[in-house]
Amino acid sequence: MEETKRILLPGDLVAEGPKRLDGCFVEKGNTYAAVVGILSGERVIPLKGFYVPRYDDYVIGIVKNVRFSGYEVEINSPYYGTLSSREMREEFKVGDVISAKIMSVNEVNDTELVEPRRLYGGEIIEIEHVKVPRVIGKNASMLAMISESTRAEVLIGKNGRIYLKGGDVALASLAIIKICREAHTSGLTERVKEFLEKETGTKIGAPAREREEGEAPENREVG
Amino acid sequence: MKMASSVSKVKLLDGNKRLDGRGFKDLRDLKITAGVLKKAQGSAMVEWGRNKVIAGVYGPREVFPRHRTDPYRAIINCKYAMAPFSSLEEHGRAGPNRRAMEIGKVAKHVFENTVFTNLFPKTMIDISMEILQSDGGTRIAGITAASVAVVDAGIPVKDLVQGVSVGKVEGKLVVDLGKTEDNFGQSDVPAIVSLRSKEILLYQMDGMLTKDEIHESLDLIFEAAKVVRQKQADALKEKYERIEENVASEKPSGRSEQGEEEVM
Amino acid sequence: MIVDEVKEEYVKNLLKKGKRADGRGMMDYRPISVEKNYLQNAEGSAFASIGDSKVLAAVKFDLVEPFKDRPEEGVLMVNSEFTIMAHPEFESGPPNEKVIELARVVDRGIRSAEAIDVKKFFLEEGKAYGLFIDLWVLDHSGNLTDTAALAAMAALRCTKVPKYEDGKIIREEYKGPLELERDIVTSSFEKIDGKMVVDATDEEEIASDGRLTMASCGNDMLCAGQKSGRAGFTTDEIMGVIDIAFEKRKELMKFVK
Repeated sequence: MEETKRILLPGDLVAEGPKRLDGCFVEKGNTYAAVVGILSGERVIPLKGFYVPRYDDYVIGIVKNVRFSGYEVEINSPYYGTLSSREMREEFKVGDVISAKIMSVNEVNDTELVEPRRLYGGEIIEIEHVKVPRVIGKNASMLAMISESTRAEVLIGKNGRIYLKGGDVALASLAIIKICREAHTSGLTERVKEFLEKETGTKIGAPAREREEGEAPENREVG
Repeated sequence: MKMASSVSKVKLLDGNKRLDGRGFKDLRDLKITAGVLKKAQGSAMVEWGRNKVIAGVYGPREVFPRHRTDPYRAIINCKYAMAPFSSLEEHGRAGPNRRAMEIGKVAKHVFENTVFTNLFPKTMIDISMEILQSDGGTRIAGITAASVAVVDAGIPVKDLVQGVSVGKVEGKLVVDLGKTEDNFGQSDVPAIVSLRSKEILLYQMDGMLTKDEIHESLDLIFEAAKVVRQKQADALKEKYERIEENVASEKPSGRSEQGEEEVM
Repeated sequence: MIVDEVKEEYVKNLLKKGKRADGRGMMDYRPISVEKNYLQNAEGSAFASIGDSKVLAAVKFDLVEPFKDRPEEGVLMVNSEFTIMAHPEFESGPPNEKVIELARVVDRGIRSAEAIDVKKFFLEEGKAYGLFIDLWVLDHSGNLTDTAALAAMAALRCTKVPKYEDGKIIREEYKGPLELERDIVTSSFEKIDGKMVVDATDEEEIASDGRLTMASCGNDMLCAGQKSGRAGFTTDEIMGVIDIAFEKRKELMKFVK
């Protein structure tokens, strides 16, 4: 079932009447696009953007400053997160890579983090956060495919930062970059599966198979 | 620089044709490419007549210096610079001059209007326009490029803005002045508009025009802006369509993807 | 930027295994492309890219007064700008020490090699041609020196000397191509944890302890060198670098001619 897809540009009319859609705004009762995106049926999927902290998101950050009251954490956003000392069970230092959850964001985007966990020994890459759902895939199927074939631990933060450790990290990176480039096309899961199978020389289990939440501990979406 | 009298040193019109053979309403050749730089978050190249302009955008990002932070919205910095090798004539001096600063300011106001700055309080957006080759109408080419670069960066805006210069040569209103027309004509009006809201976001004028001529020139500007917008739109879409084509030619398309769990 | 420090760790860990982040060999260049005559207003120009680094070089002639100590010679000036769009950390303002270093190293290569005979630029009493080379950095992903030098040499190779009549330069009319005695190319090496790599990315440069650039103007002649950063280099290291520089010259010269 092919859905009609149309590329939207800022200022393009998306719908008559006011609608609450991602990447859109309402003016004089009509809904317009504010960013480049795809109109897929009734949904608008932004093709580019940068991360603004949201309540309850799991993110991967880097400790950038140590203060008396806690830590400033860079989260691949114009805004950084703060981690209060009261939350901490262990001490961090500048440059530590951590995963954390966003506990609160106020109206000027001051962000508080909780549940910090230090990550070490791996590599981090940044992608556009709008592409994160694609990298995860339906029921985390895309993510599972990457993990299974590269044997890498892959943690994905909603802020577009990905932590890779072990296995063939380089291949996992390449697969992720491919997904980001082709995020707006159809048939992507099949192509990525073929790409990984070709590069590793091994077959992957059916990607459409439903996975239980919490199965296969090596691959996890953070949150 | 305007000549005071209406009799120009150079003959600028020949019947209905201009110096380069164009009709009064014709634009010069215009080519726009989006996403030309790797490091800049958003970028665009505009080749307009002989003009070659590149724009780059960073942000929203942390404000520097800190004291400039606005608690309610993003601040916008806009830089316009002509490279010393951009002119056909002499080699210029590098570094900001008064003209460049003025253009940077009026360009900044265009983006203060169109960017949703209230969505990103306490941040800064840096827009820079570098004129690599100049041939009349560089500020328009620059802002047209910057508008594409801002969108390429994923910064939400009310509209993709663009413009053109309209002027008067030997008594006739013409669109998209070339350098000679600008130097020896009777008036030059660069303008940037939003077609959606039908508003004029940048407007500068020199020379002498009657009230009717000003009204007519505004109509000409909006008309020409449509042509420019189409090129901007093509540039932004071309990036994605090119990838789709490459992908489609690799393999017949399978089932459509419904993999997105959630959006932004 | 804090993310740089994390990347630096990663670069060093890879190098311990003899690998680079983009899979290249230690002595491999990234893909190179050069487009000559990129501009029409300039008398010569070239747009060079090495990997994602991009530099535009432009050559312009202008009338100048000769220097007092060389009254019958033209003048050669090399300038550079790191445009603020090229990297998130580049700031607006007068050239900083890195910008100036780049311009001076390229200048030294061209001047020492005596590639251009500035005596030919003398026009008449008190007037000569100034040849202005501008190196405009548009995108910084490392190794701006080699990218700029390549752009400069390619630009010089397609430069035309404008006509001079009645005390004025006649633009767009030319005496002929700029005569060049030699071709200069540079190769830059970064020393990271004691290991040498050529054509470093900006992430590798952050991890680097020191840089060595060598310019060659012939198959066995070097015309400029620059060591930068706090690391020291042994004689063996320098001789090793020179060998590779000559080897790379063959590859780079294909883009200049």
